Amino acid sequence: MKKKILVTLLLAATASAAFAGPIEEQIRFRQSAYSYLSWNTAKIKKQVVDSPETFNKDYVAAAANAIAAVANSGLGELYGPGTDQGTGWKPTRLKAEFFQKKDEVTTVANNFNVAANELAKVAATGDKAAIKDAFGKVTESCKACHDLARIKE
Amino acid sequence: MKVISVWDLPLRLFHWLLVVSVVAAYVSAKVGGAWIDWHGRIGLFIVGLLIFRIVWGFLGSTHARFKTFFPTFSRLVAYFKGHWHGIGHNPLGALSVLALLTLVATQVGSGLFANDDISFTGPLASLVDKEQSDQFTRWHNSSFNILLVLVILHVVAIVYHRLIKKNNLVGPMVTGKKKVPKELAEKVAPSINTAVGPLRLALSLIISVTVVWSVSGAISLTSSAPTENVQQAAQVSAGF
Repeated sequence: MKKKILVTLLLAATASAAFAGPIEEQIRFRQSAYSYLSWNTAKIKKQVVDSPETFNKDYVAAAANAIAAVANSGLGELYGPGTDQGTGWKPTRLKAEFFQKKDEVTTVANNFNVAANELAKVAATGDKAAIKDAFGKVTESCKACHDLARIKE
Repeated sequence: MKVISVWDLPLRLFHWLLVVSVVAAYVSAKVGGAWIDWHGRIGLFIVGLLIFRIVWGFLGSTHARFKTFFPTFSRLVAYFKGHWHGIGHNPLGALSVLALLTLVATQVGSGLFANDDISFTGPLASLVDKEQSDQFTRWHNSSFNILLVLVILHVVAIVYHRLIKKNNLVGPMVTGKKKVPKELAEKVAPSINTAVGPLRLALSLIISVTVVWSVSGAISLTSSAPTENVQQAAQVSAGF
């Protein structure tokens, strides 16, 4: 599994032919992806962390699966050369360093992938405490990437 | 020399709890992940400390009161000419105190409405839209840098007083007591009241706890009616 993820990421990061469309389109797609992610993380946060009394196993599992699906969709395709400049739904905040720090980017991307898949796996069991931990790992991986590659406002 | 009381216990507790809380807030924000929730809790605690300090600036003992140390222009001029002889915050230090309090207030105030674009939203963020919350977040980030500069200045000033002016500022903030020349001690003694009024203390605590409770989202500021809809929406509907 891990190997597959890595291969996908590397393929996406190296083969320029694999990038999804024009720069603006790549930026728009990835902004949409993260926006959709935030909808789903908010759902889990609400039912697992903030108001655990509202916990609904299927609802949380659906959100976790959605997060894993986004993570597994090969987001690397949306980070083609030159996509640190440009406007999707709004101007991108991708740092130019993103393209120089390939190893670190691969690491944070991989961590997100692993954490998201683990969350989906744990969410299926309905074990609230375990979901909370796994969810913490996912948000950690979000932050790691923001710190590395996202322009701080 | 004579040893006299300067800082009352609530004021000293405020000071050191603020130090610990600000460090903890910084660390929890940097670590992120699940710790961001602690960042929010610590922020609320700092709201409480801050409100307490403001109220205590009116109800506390002599040297805790704003009117005792408020850095008016004439006090500042006197200080720079070397004519200031007091035992509480000197006028320049008082400026620093007020600036630090203002910056910490800006931090927690903006934090209440901020979000981290991951999973954390400040307890009052739902009162504003996302764009506005993002603006609060930017303020939260940028005012932190100013706060950091002020904190460094604060520490440098303390070291300067210690090494150059041979004036220990940390000791009195721990023990509450300060060694001052006998004449000065006798001169200021009649105007100093170091007693902590239990009623005033209770009132200050009640006010700060109430404010924290209000901003923590414990009071639903919006109508409670939508809860039922949310409950219904929070199930997976079959199909779409």
